Amino acid sequence: MSIEIEKLRYVYSPKTPFEKVALNDVTFTIEDGDFFGIIGHTGSGKSTLVSHLNALTRVMSGKITVDGVDITPKKIDFKALRSKVGMVFQYPEYQLFADTVEKDVEFGCKNIGIADAECKERVKEAIELVGLDYEQVKDRSPFELSGGQKRRVALAGVLAMRPKVLVLDEPTAGLDPKGKREIMNLVRDIRKSCPTTVMISHNMDEVAEYCNKIAVMSDGKLYGVFTPNELFGKGELLKSLGLSVPKVTSIANRLADCGFDIDRGIVRADELVKAIENAVGGKGAEKCAT
Amino acid sequence: MRDVSFGQYYPVPSPIHRLDPRTKLLSVIIYIVTLFFINTFTGFGIAALFLLIIILISKVPLGKVLKSVKAVLFLLIFTFLFTFLFVKGEPDKLIWEWGIIHLYWDRLFVSAKLCIRLLLLVLGPALLTLTTTPMELTDGVESLLKPLALIKVPVHSLAIIMSIALRLIPTLMEETDKIINAQKARCADFDSGNIFKRAKAMLPVLIPLFVSSFRRADDLADAMDSRCYRGAKGRTRMRVLKFRFSDFVMLFFMAVLLTAMLFLKYNWFNWAFIAVLV
Ligand SMILES: Nc1ncnc2c1ncn2[C@@H]1O[C@H](COP(=O)(O)OP(=O)(O)OP(=O)(O)O)[C@@H](O)[C@H]1O
Ligand SMILES: [Mg+2]
Repeated sequence: MSIEIEKLRYVYSPKTPFEKVALNDVTFTIEDGDFFGIIGHTGSGKSTLVSHLNALTRVMSGKITVDGVDITPKKIDFKALRSKVGMVFQYPEYQLFADTVEKDVEFGCKNIGIADAECKERVKEAIELVGLDYEQVKDRSPFELSGGQKRRVALAGVLAMRPKVLVLDEPTAGLDPKGKREIMNLVRDIRKSCPTTVMISHNMDEVAEYCNKIAVMSDGKLYGVFTPNELFGKGELLKSLGLSVPKVTSIANRLADCGFDIDRGIVRADELVKAIENAVGGKGAEKCAT
Repeated sequence: MRDVSFGQYYPVPSPIHRLDPRTKLLSVIIYIVTLFFINTFTGFGIAALFLLIIILISKVPLGKVLKSVKAVLFLLIFTFLFTFLFVKGEPDKLIWEWGIIHLYWDRLFVSAKLCIRLLLLVLGPALLTLTTTPMELTDGVESLLKPLALIKVPVHSLAIIMSIALRLIPTLMEETDKIINAQKARCADFDSGNIFKRAKAMLPVLIPLFVSSFRRADDLADAMDSRCYRGAKGRTRMRVLKFRFSDFVMLFFMAVLLTAMLFLKYNWFNWAFIAVLV
């Protein structure tokens, strides 16, 4: 399922002293099966951009087509759109409200009018998909779970609607390194049933490791859409946009600075290991020793 | 929802914005008192002109200030109709009569004056909130009420409660916005069905909102504790209120306005020109 965005522009509080252009002339396409990363400094308009994808923010000027359907008109089928584009916000655990995990997860599913029996099945599937034990958690209160578990329950609540595209706004914010890794592995597993994923992230390591395309936002404008290797090879450009390169890339850069024959755009640990193996014994080694 | 930003502070640089909040509070009080002494069209005219000049100096668009009248428009119309239509005036001023409805020339003037006074009463405080942030206002109120601490009124605590409440309103609005969006993303439907259905539909918003408010209050209490907050005793301020020259100028003009209006009303020295004006 593809999403096409054309000349999107959005202004907060237009015609007041608080006017703020959050998006300006943004055009790109997310294709079926993409793991699409969106990066950019704080306030660059990433959240505003993705909230357009399921019509939580309405198109002010420009055009968005989701799965061939134009979502620009005032009246659209919100339920169909929002169950197709599953949106998980930053800190989704703060939206839990029901007295049991099961009831919370089935909220979205019920809202789109799925019959109870099928809903139960979907809930079970979703809870298991996020790596929780269905029997163990279904009757517990979501408020007594740990932070990481809450986030999984919130994620399950969106997955129970069986979306075709999953949109994640900083899914790993506020988690420890282990929690981050777990959530990211989970997202990778989820892609088996929901292959198109859009993810906002401030963590370059995650973006580099998981995404196949990366959009760079800066001050409401789209700087461009790149593959990880293309993008992180441009260390200087990223720096000028207030962004950094992944750890792996910075190691590759340091080695290249020392004269090793290593590509500066390397983003994955295994690629780096291979490149080092190739380069070791090369002519750079003596240089670095001095 | 955040579009309806709390309060109506209009951020432009102007001499009125820069005035000490205490000056502005006192000025508004003087202004209101003055209005109650005024009873003639000349007086209202002078007061309106005075207000207009202040508005122009404040650089707040006139439309913004007049918008605050909307809230009391209904009251204004009702006041006018009731005091004009249903009350009898001097017999020789009768225009037209039908059942309980009487139109008298003198009542028309009385009602008009009443409405003008109401109008001017609303505009003054409106300009105050347009040119002063809620935080400045609380600081001003606290400072003005300080003498009450002598009779054991917990002025400082009240002020800090007020400023925390004011501070948290936009935060809560933002939070509400986020939660509503999150539930909408799960296809929650907030605007269909009858009133009970709609009230029930708000539960998925209210519960997380309460939970997060309690969490926030807890965190804030911890943060205040860990910064050794103990109430007013020995506490200094970051923004120290200070009267400047312009504050004295403002208060001077307010005093002039009040005195002028008192003269206009009582004409203590029987000056002939006042008699003509009235
Ligand atoms: N509801 C709102 N009202 C007014 N301005 C807003 C609102 N939401 C966001 N903005 C402004 O729009 C701009 C873009 O905000 P947005 O939340 O999309 O940024 P972001 O890239 O997601 O940032 P972050 O990385 O911090 O999440 C910011 O300058 C922000 O101040
Ligand atoms: Mg954001």
